[in-house]
Amino acid sequence: MTASVLATPEAAERRQSFVAQTAAMSQRAVLALWRQPAIVIPSLVFPLFFAALGASAFARAIELPGFPPVRSFLDFALAGTIVQGILFGSLTGATALATDIENGFFDRLLASPTSRLSILLGRLAGGMVYGAFQTAFFIAVLVPFGLVVEAGIVGIAVMLIGGVLTALAVGALMSAMAIRTGSSEAVQGSFPLLFILLFFSSAFFPRETMTGVYARFADLNPMSYLIEGFRDLTVDGLTASAVARTLLISAGLAVVTMAIALRSLRRKLRAR
Amino acid sequence: MSAATPSTTSASEPTTRPTSASTSTVAPARGLAVRSLRNIRRLPSAFLPALLMPIVQAVAFSGTFFAITQIPGFPTDRSINWYMPLAVLMGSSFAGVGIGFTTVRDLESGFYDRIRMAPVPRRALLLGPLLSAWARSALVVTIVCALGLALGARLTDGPLGLLTLYVAGLGMATIGTGWGLGLAFRFRDMRAAAIMQLTLFLALFLTTAQAPLDIMEGWLFEVASRNPLTAVLQLGRMGFLGDVTWAHTWPGLLAIAVLGTLAMLFARTGLARLDR
Repeated sequence: MTASVLATPEAAERRQSFVAQTAAMSQRAVLALWRQPAIVIPSLVFPLFFAALGASAFARAIELPGFPPVRSFLDFALAGTIVQGILFGSLTGATALATDIENGFFDRLLASPTSRLSILLGRLAGGMVYGAFQTAFFIAVLVPFGLVVEAGIVGIAVMLIGGVLTALAVGALMSAMAIRTGSSEAVQGSFPLLFILLFFSSAFFPRETMTGVYARFADLNPMSYLIEGFRDLTVDGLTASAVARTLLISAGLAVVTMAIALRSLRRKLRAR
Repeated sequence: MSAATPSTTSASEPTTRPTSASTSTVAPARGLAVRSLRNIRRLPSAFLPALLMPIVQAVAFSGTFFAITQIPGFPTDRSINWYMPLAVLMGSSFAGVGIGFTTVRDLESGFYDRIRMAPVPRRALLLGPLLSAWARSALVVTIVCALGLALGARLTDGPLGLLTLYVAGLGMATIGTGWGLGLAFRFRDMRAAAIMQLTLFLALFLTTAQAPLDIMEGWLFEVASRNPLTAVLQLGRMGFLGDVTWAHTWPGLLAIAVLGTLAMLFARTGLARLDR
């Protein structure tokens, strides 16, 4: 009897621990993606579509002056494909968070003895798992069409980690928007802006062929350097520079956007 | 139970119809259109991307693919002449899809149920949003064109090229509205918005969106040369690439007529499904 009385609060405490709560929220986020394939399929198909589109529309562009030496446009396009997919996948997670806010589920979580941080981290962890899956998926699908990753298995592993960190970075930024607006419509409406952010980088064409103000924007966009890290692993092989750019830039972005997301969450909690 | 007792009539049951169908359609359609346009001011975050996206897209594509005009056979030496009409049509189609967004919001909040309860013809529930989409499209075309011209785009056959671009924009807005509404009525959930946007993106990019047919290779050439939206794009673009000719005009008009009708039918059947 005494033992059971002691054990119950301990068990409850363990269940309610931060890690357990985050894991439960992550599981919910991943299951939501798994159970609604219609929602996630676009973030898998769309980037592949653009890779295929570019490989066909711009096949002759690799002969242009200034274009870096590549075997095919498909090799060049892989990096943009991965980052693009992660951007769109993160949008799905943030939309789900905004929907939670709209339909009151978020408030019910806040009313429960749940760690506030785990609500956010759970969503982001779901996105990180999905980011790793997307990276592996894109490589696996494009290899039969002639893609060659010069960095080999180790390089692919680095890309997977980079994919996870990029998903965290983008997911945190979009979650901040979801928390601030509380509107899934507004979050969805930001899709074109994410797309534009990609275009103001070297995701689809090399910076070397750009000119003027536009080239300067692409030079200033951290997305360019993140993508070029992935690209160097694909085109040049396993180099320290490529690994560092893939991991450090995505990690740095994740730190900044997490700070923004946490600030948004704190502001929302204070406003309650 | 008589249909003359509206307080007990459910949304799925037939409602009393006013005698003049045209009058009863226009007034509520106008009301819905005005309400939708007011939403631009009340929820700008939902409309601004549809306006900003084509602006930034015109700049981004022209800048990103600036060098592609150096490929032999490219029909213009100004990349913005090639990509600005694409951005306009993309923005117009998103103006239409935006109607789907707001409809989903109304469905989720229950407001759309009240609209459906109103004794108005069903076509008014489609015409109102369509009018709003046209107004939004005209706004997008005007602003993006003005910016494009300021950034170096040049009309090659005078103002007639602008007219064909407006017509193509309205056509894309019609297609986007029908598609957006049809999906909204079927999914009834904002997450369907991703499908609305992505499918239109895909359809527009499976054309000569990025490069002309002459320099394409492989599968895209086969698809783009058969995609009816290529004709719509050609209609919108021809005033920036050369002369405006009937040979380049009628395929675009035909594609708009067919796709617009199909899209609005998709919306109508979706509304009927919602009523059931």
